[in-house]
Amino acid sequence: MSGPLPELDPVIHAQARLRVVAALSTLPDGDRVAFPRLQDILVMTAGNLSVHLRKLEDAGYVNVTKTHHGRTPTTLICLSRRGRLAFDEYTAAVRALIDPTNRHDQQREEV
Amino acid sequence: MRDEFVDDLRDAPPPDPVAALRLIERQRAEAIRRFSPDPRLYHWPWGLAWLIVFGLFFLRYGPGGRTFVAMPDWLPLAVLAVAMIAVTVFTAVTSSRTYSQISGESARRGAWYGYAWFVGFAGLFATLARVTPALPPDLRTLAWSAAPVALTGVLYLAGGAVWLDRNLFVLGAWISGSNIVGVVAGPGWHSLVTALAGGGGMLVTGWLLHRAAVRATRGHEPDGVGASG
Repeated sequence: MSGPLPELDPVIHAQARLRVVAALSTLPDGDRVAFPRLQDILVMTAGNLSVHLRKLEDAGYVNVTKTHHGRTPTTLICLSRRGRLAFDEYTAAVRALIDPTNRHDQQREEV
Repeated sequence: MRDEFVDDLRDAPPPDPVAALRLIERQRAEAIRRFSPDPRLYHWPWGLAWLIVFGLFFLRYGPGGRTFVAMPDWLPLAVLAVAMIAVTVFTAVTSSRTYSQISGESARRGAWYGYAWFVGFAGLFATLARVTPALPPDLRTLAWSAAPVALTGVLYLAGGAVWLDRNLFVLGAWISGSNIVGVVAGPGWHSLVTALAGGGGMLVTGWLLHRAAVRATRGHEPDGVGASG
């Protein structure tokens, strides 16, 4: 093993927030998902999801927009550029921890 | 970790990197599946409808005015109308479900593409309705089949361009090409070519797109990780 082990981002190094970020990372750029739909996909309670989203928002990893769809208030969520970067770095770091010899191959897989 | 009295267990970090990676891949696969439409739901109903409707047209109005299977004149047309309406509604519902509660470019792209179909076919049918009385009977059926098939081919080509989807683009080219072959072969033959090549092409494309989607999801699963646990 050469070099120090990569540090894991403490904000997303938590199972629930990692799942939130992983799910949001599949949304194409320019898309945002409504809170209930995200909650449904993650199978989390609204309270838990809110808490985790607030932490991610505080870290600047997600953008939370409150808007109105007709008369119903809607909360729209997407990963920020910073959040996407943090997720990519976290994934790369985890891969490097699993197989430190294979870093260049991991880069290729990210495409 | 103790600063929040919420969801203590899930707030815990993954036990090890392998578990973390597996968590990421599972959640991504699930989200991709839920966020993107199942291509089979788009292509198989249309493929089946074309196979049946144009198959009926071929059997009733075969080449050289032959009738292979006796059936009432109105039957193929009635099946055409019912199938068109049913599958259109099904497609619209499928699409609005996929994009429900997602806002942004994907939803807009899907909606605008859907409008393009309606606008295109409205213009086409208005033109056909106007010129049909001047056409001999065998060319009427050909015109009402070949023009919509041509427009469908073009819209699939456009869809392939919009989503940079090679399978969709190839389907558009395939439908356009087989349509020309059918038109050259003449009334009757056109129905057979469209049923088999067009309808069959859609069924195959639905399957190819589905397989590609499944592979894309699996492709994110890291090699060797599954084996170690």
